[in-house]
Amino acid sequence: MDVRTVRRQLAALLPEARPTGEGEGTLELLAASSVDAPRLISATVLEGSGPLKARRVFGGPEPAFRAFLDGTQRSQVAAHLHGIPIVVGTAAAVIRDRRNRRMHTWSPPLVETRLYAPRDLVGARAWESLSALSRGQLVDTTDREHEAGAHPFTLKDAAYHGVQAHREDLERRLAERWCTVENDRLFIDGGISGSEAVAVSSCTVGVVKSHRTLYAEGPALAVVLGLGHRERSSVFVINEKASRRTKVASWYLRLRDPSGRDPMWGLVRVEIAHPGPEEKHAIGDRADEVSRWILAEASPLSLPDARWDKMVYGIRDCEEFLRAVAG
Amino acid sequence: MSSILGRVVATERRPNTPHEFHFWTALDSPVGIGTIVRVDGRDAVNGVLPHVYGIVTEGFSWTDLASPLHDVMGFDGLPDAESLHHTNRAEIRLYTAAVLRHVPEEPLQPVPMGTVFLADESDVEVALRMDGYLKPGARTGIPIGVYRAGGTDAPIYLDADFLIGPEAAHLNISGVSGLATKTSAVEWLLQSIFTHFPAQKGSVAAVCFNVKGPDLCYLDQPGDIDEADRGLYEKCGVTPDPFGNVQYFAPYKSDGVSLNTLRSNEALLDNVTSLTWGLREVLQYAEVLLNKDDVDAKADALIDFIKENVLDKKFVDPMLERPHSVTSFADLDAWFRDVLRGLEKKDDQSWRTHHVATIRKVRNRLSNISLRCKGLVADDGATSDLPFGSFQDRTVYVIDVAGLEEDAQDLIFARVVTKLREHLEKRDLGVQHVVVFVDELNKYAPGDGPETYVRKMLLDIAERGRYLGLVLFSAQQFRSQVHRRVVGNSGTALYGRMDGDELATPGYAVLSPAIKTKLATLEKGQLMVRHPHFTQPIFVRFPRPAVMRGRDGVSRYPAAQSVSLHAAVLRTLRVLDPSLTLGWLQDVTQLATDDEILRARNDVVRTRPTDVRKAFAAHFRAAVVPRTASRPHAPAPLPAVPSDDPYGF
Repeated sequence: MDVRTVRRQLAALLPEARPTGEGEGTLELLAASSVDAPRLISATVLEGSGPLKARRVFGGPEPAFRAFLDGTQRSQVAAHLHGIPIVVGTAAAVIRDRRNRRMHTWSPPLVETRLYAPRDLVGARAWESLSALSRGQLVDTTDREHEAGAHPFTLKDAAYHGVQAHREDLERRLAERWCTVENDRLFIDGGISGSEAVAVSSCTVGVVKSHRTLYAEGPALAVVLGLGHRERSSVFVINEKASRRTKVASWYLRLRDPSGRDPMWGLVRVEIAHPGPEEKHAIGDRADEVSRWILAEASPLSLPDARWDKMVYGIRDCEEFLRAVAG
Repeated sequence: MSSILGRVVATERRPNTPHEFHFWTALDSPVGIGTIVRVDGRDAVNGVLPHVYGIVTEGFSWTDLASPLHDVMGFDGLPDAESLHHTNRAEIRLYTAAVLRHVPEEPLQPVPMGTVFLADESDVEVALRMDGYLKPGARTGIPIGVYRAGGTDAPIYLDADFLIGPEAAHLNISGVSGLATKTSAVEWLLQSIFTHFPAQKGSVAAVCFNVKGPDLCYLDQPGDIDEADRGLYEKCGVTPDPFGNVQYFAPYKSDGVSLNTLRSNEALLDNVTSLTWGLREVLQYAEVLLNKDDVDAKADALIDFIKENVLDKKFVDPMLERPHSVTSFADLDAWFRDVLRGLEKKDDQSWRTHHVATIRKVRNRLSNISLRCKGLVADDGATSDLPFGSFQDRTVYVIDVAGLEEDAQDLIFARVVTKLREHLEKRDLGVQHVVVFVDELNKYAPGDGPETYVRKMLLDIAERGRYLGLVLFSAQQFRSQVHRRVVGNSGTALYGRMDGDELATPGYAVLSPAIKTKLATLEKGQLMVRHPHFTQPIFVRFPRPAVMRGRDGVSRYPAAQSVSLHAAVLRTLRVLDPSLTLGWLQDVTQLATDDEILRARNDVVRTRPTDVRKAFAAHFRAAVVPRTASRPHAPAPLPAVPSDDPYGF
């Protein structure tokens, strides 16, 4: 089920719907200009005593990841029904397994497409038609909490976040499957706290590239932004109870020399399972070890991707693969 | 069924067409330039799933890098920083293939998306349309070699109807010198033709001109071949044996005693025959030796007069001192002398409309022929020739002209080919098809330069020979330097390793850069084949011919050293009668001149009598029987002096 098919079938089922043109951009492009507001959150330092510090990662890079997990999403307005956007969203996730330096797909990728529409606004007949068209993969984007819930932008945002949640769900399913059947290390693009099974596994490492939320305030922030090449911050705890995420250990790591660059250049945040009481004293060594694994993935470069300073090549490979199979 | 090799791809910028398509493969796939593949279409057309056969003509590879600079940065500018990388970049192997055949042929559509397989033996047969001439009962396939790719070993057949005629004919082979490809390929192909030429098409023989070195001098001697070659022979159904029937012909050296060939070792002389022509044979082809500047219309008229009125006839003229019967160059010279003497006596400037200057000029040029072609042209009219009229099936006739002057080579070539054509026209050659092999074609039929008799003749064979069964197999280093009508009429073309400059000429513009690269680096024993049934050039391997290589032959059978006249004549005669001895020969010829001995030898070699001794001795006058000197009679005693003789003292 792709956008063209949906447009064609909608024209037959709901003649009053007005299909969008071929040049219509994706919601992901629109969302880029309306992302969440930046936040600073103070975090509890887990490593050593005292405030957050910069620490040098000694030792050469050590390749240790066997596989890489990433997901993609793509959502597009297929038609407007009385001005209400009907969105087609495709989410996909894959694990790419590295064997003999070449990337291969580990188990079939997950690719799913859903329709997004506000049930309250489209009417019962149209909802039935859309439900039939999507073969049950229809998601209600009705926003009953906001006054502007009928605003098309609000509806598009809701659809976009629905697709995002879908993508995260696929990533989580794959990661959990990996943790069930494999013991080797898995590099996950993004945080690991969304799934408890993944968050407590010793074989998963999450690497976050976006820093809309920084877990440092005041002097700690200066330490993070001032990290040099092959330096990491002290390990701290992320424990967002409000979002019901699992507690994980985290730290910032500078993959590349930031001289003359933006403070975020080559900066990633690493998440691993929170250590048990008996492992807490060794969390620094563990962070160094995982940092060496991640530094080993800094080459080859992920160019021409614009995020190449933070993105490892295995994740770029996942994205390219999903672009090929899911569009 | 073989496993999937690749998948067809097409983009707007690189679409598929009915004659070309693209596919990608795994990085370790055994595909290369020249590999034959089969595409199985996904969607049926008119209820039939389309199959397309193609041959790889170009290959591409790239990674997801947008700029080489990105790779430099990834390696920190250090080419040996391999340890930095733990993942190889995504990489593609994309190939372009030229379509060999669509099945079904209609409707002719762009190559569909589908899966790509390596062609197996039966696929190769269909792809190259060989299935049309390999049918049981109507098989006309001649193996040229083995196509080898990705574990597929498929013999490649040429269609005899298109190689030997009558549909098309002739073969031309190009390649750089020194790789033993051109001559070896022709020797192998002749073996293959002799084995597989269909019985229903009749008989076939080959006439090879050995123009350089000892290349063709040991075709009847076994050569060394390895196991790989044996495998190729087995695959092609040819027995790895030397040629069973080979006849060698070579003129004498200028001394008229020893044969002008590297195959002069006594152990190999049993199938070597001298090539000797007289006035009659040469005069028919006078224009080969006399260029246009020499022979104007007046001279041509005199030569025609001689051919029609003088040659082999009793010629009587009141001006001449005596009747003439001209059968040899010596007779002709005597005739010329008589004519010129007569004119001098009459103090006249012309005779029978021919001016004295023209007569002198023609005499000079014709007399000169016997000097320029000494060893080939006999003054005495003796002739030893190819067995026109009794050619044998599956026999190779090698004419060794390697040691001759260019004029003599031209003369031999012109006469032999013309005689072959004449006999084939009359259907009395002895065989129905003759393959004529000429090396160094750029010398005999150059693309530029003056029009020569030999070039005209080659053009004639190339354009009309196939109807007669006269087939030209030609070879040269640079195809671009050969007359285009000669190579253009060759239905089949073979290419060995090619020179880069040659490949840059317009004649090779149809080949892709990858094919040209492959041609420039072809190994020994590999050829690119173009044949009327093949819509694209095909690469094949052929075995080393199972004959002794020239340089091996020369070291194993060294050419005979120059010997005395008697020893040379004896060596020739002993081929016919091994019981002859040098003492006998010296006894028989003790009163004969050298010319008489040579004439007798030529006659015996030509007639091959049963009793060689008797036939040879018959040429010489019997020596006077020696008689024992008897005691001379004593002179009569002087009469006694009378006693009364007053003067008796």
